[in-house]
Amino acid sequence: MTENDKDIIETEPQPEAPKKKHNRFVQYFINLGARIKGWFVDKFLTVKDFFSGLFRKKPKDEFAYDGPQLSKGEKFRRGLKAQSGWLFVAPALILMAVFTFYPIVAAFVNSFKQGYSSTTGAFNGWGFDNFVRVLKGDTGTGGANFVQCLVNTLILTFISVPLSTLLALLISVGLNSIKRVQKAYQTILFLPYLTNALAMGAVFATFFKIIGTKSYTETVGMVNIVLGWFGIDPVDWVGATSPHWQIGSLSIPWAKYIVATIYEVWSGLPFKILILFSAMQSINKQYYDAAKVDGASRWTVLWKITAPMIMPQISYLLVTGIMGGMKQYSAIVGLFGETMGQAYDMGTMVGYLYNYIELGQMGYAFAGSLMLFVIIMIITFINNKVTKKRTTYR
Amino acid sequence: MRISIQHLTKIFPSRSRGGKAVHAVEDMNIEIPSGELVGLLGPSGCGKSTTLFMLSGLESPTSGKILFDDQDVTTLAAEKRGVGLVFQNYALYPHMTVEQNIRFPLDNMRIKKEEGNARALDAARLVQIEDLMTRKPNELSGGQQQRVAIARALVKMPNVLLLDEPLSNLDARLRLQTREEIKRIQRTTGITTVFVTHDQEEAMSICDTMVVMKLGIVQQIGAPQHIYDDPNNLFVANFLGTPPINIFKGRIEGGKVYIGDEVVSESPFGQGAPCTAFDDREIYIGIRPEGFIYDENGCLTLKVDHIEVMGRDKSVVSVHESSTKPTVRCIIDSDVLLPDAENLKFRIKPNKMVFFDGVTEERLREPLNVFKGTVEGGKVMIGQEAVAETSLEDREVFVGIGSDSFVWSEEGAFTLKTDSYESDGKTATVRASHEASVTGTVRCTLQGKLPQETEELKFAVKAGSVLLFDTTTKERLA
Repeated sequence: MTENDKDIIETEPQPEAPKKKHNRFVQYFINLGARIKGWFVDKFLTVKDFFSGLFRKKPKDEFAYDGPQLSKGEKFRRGLKAQSGWLFVAPALILMAVFTFYPIVAAFVNSFKQGYSSTTGAFNGWGFDNFVRVLKGDTGTGGANFVQCLVNTLILTFISVPLSTLLALLISVGLNSIKRVQKAYQTILFLPYLTNALAMGAVFATFFKIIGTKSYTETVGMVNIVLGWFGIDPVDWVGATSPHWQIGSLSIPWAKYIVATIYEVWSGLPFKILILFSAMQSINKQYYDAAKVDGASRWTVLWKITAPMIMPQISYLLVTGIMGGMKQYSAIVGLFGETMGQAYDMGTMVGYLYNYIELGQMGYAFAGSLMLFVIIMIITFINNKVTKKRTTYR
Repeated sequence: MRISIQHLTKIFPSRSRGGKAVHAVEDMNIEIPSGELVGLLGPSGCGKSTTLFMLSGLESPTSGKILFDDQDVTTLAAEKRGVGLVFQNYALYPHMTVEQNIRFPLDNMRIKKEEGNARALDAARLVQIEDLMTRKPNELSGGQQQRVAIARALVKMPNVLLLDEPLSNLDARLRLQTREEIKRIQRTTGITTVFVTHDQEEAMSICDTMVVMKLGIVQQIGAPQHIYDDPNNLFVANFLGTPPINIFKGRIEGGKVYIGDEVVSESPFGQGAPCTAFDDREIYIGIRPEGFIYDENGCLTLKVDHIEVMGRDKSVVSVHESSTKPTVRCIIDSDVLLPDAENLKFRIKPNKMVFFDGVTEERLREPLNVFKGTVEGGKVMIGQEAVAETSLEDREVFVGIGSDSFVWSEEGAFTLKTDSYESDGKTATVRASHEASVTGTVRCTLQGKLPQETEELKFAVKAGSVLLFDTTTKERLA
């Protein structure tokens, strides 16, 4: 474009000028703005009226206090005093703003920056490119595959969390029905909770690990030895030759899933038992007496009385367990090493994010974290809907 | 179903080492006829709830037996006894609807759905909650929850209905209504019902039979009115009645009963012949509030503190130095005019006054009726009439027969001349005379089959209740 061309455009007003072409991303927000405006128009409101209405002074209350008034200074001082609560929450608010709210907003904004470089902050335009590439697995860096990580995370979470909650329920019932050495059992069951996840994962891996070369095997691992007693051939549970099913580009390393699930269930038990057991102890004993007189079997008592009575705690465990499961990382690293199995075939969502942060591809990490956030939101929402009906009887 | 409790004992071991074991129930013996409403009454901690839980099978007794009809259920599990139990706080499952709660026992019995629904509805109708079937317990009032609990207990058609403090969680008005309701349901179903309460008014108002307990020991068993009128000891007298009985310290001298310097009774039994058996003894005198009659020439002087007007009647609240309680309460008709005086004199209705030993706190009972008799050929003879059998050799004896050992019978061997006869339909008191009587008037209290009042009555004497004494040493003969 030359200098002259510019003048022409500025000097000649064009009332019917064609609309400027935005890219898809910007256009989306323009449309969104138009729709919001449309909503107000439908309600016979202008946007300005709506907001001025929010701050309009309330009509005078004829029964309002009409006695002697305070001085302006006193009013100010008292007003300040009434607001002094903010002062107390300010440190927390400021810290959260810096370390929580800002990163969330920044991640949201930056995930739409295409070709974002974390070192220079440069990017080449707005758009959904990051999301598309992440979902297609077309990141061009040889990093983890998003769909693989998502499937891994979902499968592990939705098998291990319900399973460990169910087991915790049964163990708690058993614990509740014994009288002697109850405290000792309780302590033993709680011990795993005090142990570091990485250390536990590493120890756990040795149970399953085959040590040796192709020609010479030192040990097939404890689990394989035990399975061998029942005539089951050794399985490479955690190693490079671990068996898996291939579905398209997706790999289902079932042996590793079993190991990870056993680990997750086991490490998740203590906290769940603690919660469920204490919930059970707070159930009025008369419910059980009543059930006994009415001839209820142990099974009936468990499913018709105990479980519904501690439904709030069960639902709490399911919700927090699933949220935690969606964010699991250290346990998998502990079990399968830093690359989460063979080239991230056991990768999790959080593992995916770390991987791309390490590779310097912040854009993909942002996009991935945003999707993780949305998925957790959706799951939690469904969870609440399902369990709410069963927990609101008190 | 008849319930028989035999030597029932429950001992809870102490929690701490070296602590004392708690004897919750000790050697309890009760026979409950089929279809009766029985109330276990006592202050908290007297073992009444423990007894109930032992009946239900939730607690197992330390020793003793429980029989339902003739079946020993002592070791039978709770669910096999066929009892319905209503808990103090109802124990309704909060996550189930009313219908599910009522159906719960039926579901456990694997009863078909249609039949179960019909039975649940029947039970709900009986307690009038059929409109509330879809509600949850927390959407019901206390009284409605109570009904649901009763319906749940009744729906499996139990042999025995057990209620643990069923009214204690209700407000005063609802309590009154619900206790009538319980009585009605019990009458309609005819189920033998045992209920526990610490409220004597509640127990007296609906029970057929009342069992008064204290510290695990049964104090008295009987019809409410009988226990009220004729308490066995100071505890029972004190526990029954609102306002409570007035207790005075007194003594017996020359067969007369004194409070302070005033003679309140000519005999330690309220009425009847003078008796010197309890002379020179410190006693407690219990006088029911309604037992006072204002009389200028009365035998007891009370210093008036104030008068409470209740409408139907009025209470004279006064003080007396011999009273064991701070105030003495007399309830008199509201139309009796009282002079505005500091001291008032009262006459006392003899049947509203009871005497207790000053040490044991046991009721002073009329002593044995003693007759001059002989043993002839293994038979105890009074005059020409044989009253019992014995293994003693022929000799002269004193024959002691308790007033409750007489049984009226047309073929009875023992004939008494009737002096007076009082009856309330269930029990009767006969005062009679006999030539051979050493103790004067013969007193018989009768239960069960009652005779018409005639000049002469024939009695049999309960087997094993005749006591024989030496005529000179007055020692008991084995």
